[in-house]
Amino acid sequence: MAHLTVAASERAFKTMFDLLVASIGWEKSDSASFGPFTAGYHIKGHLEGGSVDLRADNTIQVKELDIKWDILQVSLGLNIPEICVGGGCINMPWPIPDICLPQVCVFDDNPDVEISLDLAQFVAQEVSFTGSLVARYYDASLPPPLIDPCDMLRDVLSNAGLIEPLPSHNQWHLFIDPETVDIDLFDFPDIVGDLIENALTNAIVAIIPGGWVRDLILAIIGGVADLIRFILDIPDEIDEWLSDLFNVSFGLFDFLVTLVLDIFGHCVPIHRIDDPFTILEEEVSTSVRLDGAPVTLVPVRVPILNLSVLVNDVEMIVQADAGA
Amino acid sequence: MAFTDHCDLFGSVHEDGINIVVAHLMRQRPSLFNYATVAFHNQPHLFCVPIRPAQTVIDAGNPLFTEQDPLPVFGAPFPIGINFCVQITKAQVDFHPGNAVQLPPQLHPLPQQRFALRAQACAGIGCPPAGVIADILPEVERTLIEQQKLAVGKLKEPRPRPPDRPRDPVVLHSRELICVCLEVYAVGHFEWGPVPGSEQLWLKPKLDGLEIVDLKPDNLEAALECYIATVLRLGILPQVMVPIEKMVFDITKQAKKWGLTLGKQVTLQPSAVPADVPNNPAVEEDQLKVFVKLVVTP
Repeated sequence: MAHLTVAASERAFKTMFDLLVASIGWEKSDSASFGPFTAGYHIKGHLEGGSVDLRADNTIQVKELDIKWDILQVSLGLNIPEICVGGGCINMPWPIPDICLPQVCVFDDNPDVEISLDLAQFVAQEVSFTGSLVARYYDASLPPPLIDPCDMLRDVLSNAGLIEPLPSHNQWHLFIDPETVDIDLFDFPDIVGDLIENALTNAIVAIIPGGWVRDLILAIIGGVADLIRFILDIPDEIDEWLSDLFNVSFGLFDFLVTLVLDIFGHCVPIHRIDDPFTILEEEVSTSVRLDGAPVTLVPVRVPILNLSVLVNDVEMIVQADAGA
Repeated sequence: MAFTDHCDLFGSVHEDGINIVVAHLMRQRPSLFNYATVAFHNQPHLFCVPIRPAQTVIDAGNPLFTEQDPLPVFGAPFPIGINFCVQITKAQVDFHPGNAVQLPPQLHPLPQQRFALRAQACAGIGCPPAGVIADILPEVERTLIEQQKLAVGKLKEPRPRPPDRPRDPVVLHSRELICVCLEVYAVGHFEWGPVPGSEQLWLKPKLDGLEIVDLKPDNLEAALECYIATVLRLGILPQVMVPIEKMVFDITKQAKKWGLTLGKQVTLQPSAVPADVPNNPAVEEDQLKVFVKLVVTP
């Protein structure tokens, strides 16, 4: 029997998944000038929908997680040098006042020509992912392999400050091992469904100011839009089902993404646990000596053995033993 | 049957794991378990039970024990002390069913949902040999006369001026210790409870009973038991209570680490007894188990 067992139910996963989906959002904007040209972007997005499922084959499946864009704006600008005509004055003899011509300038804005395109309504992505959690032991005393395909990737990521470099002590590493990834770069069912739903909703709201009749019609429109989304999504569902059945991502893009994630999953741990694990931190104590002189007490560490992560269709179980 | 059939999060520790951790603690923080006078630095062989620290403790030059003042010799005209040591040499926990710790008849059998503790404590006193006492006795007598603290009253004979400043204690050395070791057994349980100043519930160990084996006279045993029980209840057990969030996963802290602000409040609550689980925390199958519900509030 394992010394330590921690288990999280599928319901806990679903609760946390829904909470994270509702909490995750991003917004970024920037612009740059290239001589007379300017280019900029403003993006804002969030996650929506999706579901998480723990499965009997030791995998976790995240299904149909929508990436929605509130703003997906790209702007291009051209600044044309200002051209002015007129503005001069003709000096007339006294008492005739000077005659001044009005000045007319063109291209005095900056930029003078700007094209701004917001694609938010027409772009949406959908991601499905199946993978498992794998625990592996990193033994710092072993010499590194002669050819380590992960070495370069780890160096790049650690030099960029994205991950910690490999330590000089032993660790347990937790990796995500992806099996299938399905990314719909253009989630047509959702795009079409949203467009139809928005157009009809706006029309109904304009015609009927309020009341239960409007609510009823809006509810029907929502149902119709969902039906359209469902019908249009059937080919993708079949694709995901086949991917799941054969444990391989169909489509060149999905295949490449799976390959890349596979490399990341194999090389970059998502969580690290020091072995031995510190249960009492190093401490400066002034109560060990009678004269109150400070003494730095070494940390108390316990070796971790047999760390494992198992998933079945109802829960995820993490187990470990304490080493003597 | 799944671990989380009636809860969202489940955590358990096996008695063997706890006993291994305690053994590590004793080897890597020996000063928590050994108390002695300064003289033991130079005479570690005097300890009742040899201290076997981890190599890291030796390499770091960490003290093997917490220094204590010598036992005072009451009535002496100047501070005189005797070396002593107190050691906790064994500590072991046994979750129901009792199989790792053989409880004394007074506590046997271990009730359901209870844990047993067994500890061995040794205390030694450096009894000064007759020669050492004979050597210091003239000094004691001379000082008594100086201080006019004799039982027969004041003396009229001329006396030298007493020393102006207090003297350092004189510690009576000995070549060996007289040691006594006691086996202490305790039975307790765990419960969830609040702590003033904290918003969450804490898992607290509570002492139900304690027994020292074979100590006579009975009142000495009762007095020592009372003292040790008080030390456990007020000194040691409150230090090992654990907040519920630390039991499994500190969700709020982890979310902050990821740079996420969760739009809702996530709290952990113990699963209800008996609606969800028959016992929570449960001490059974040689394990301490906790069942926790994840509660999300707007």
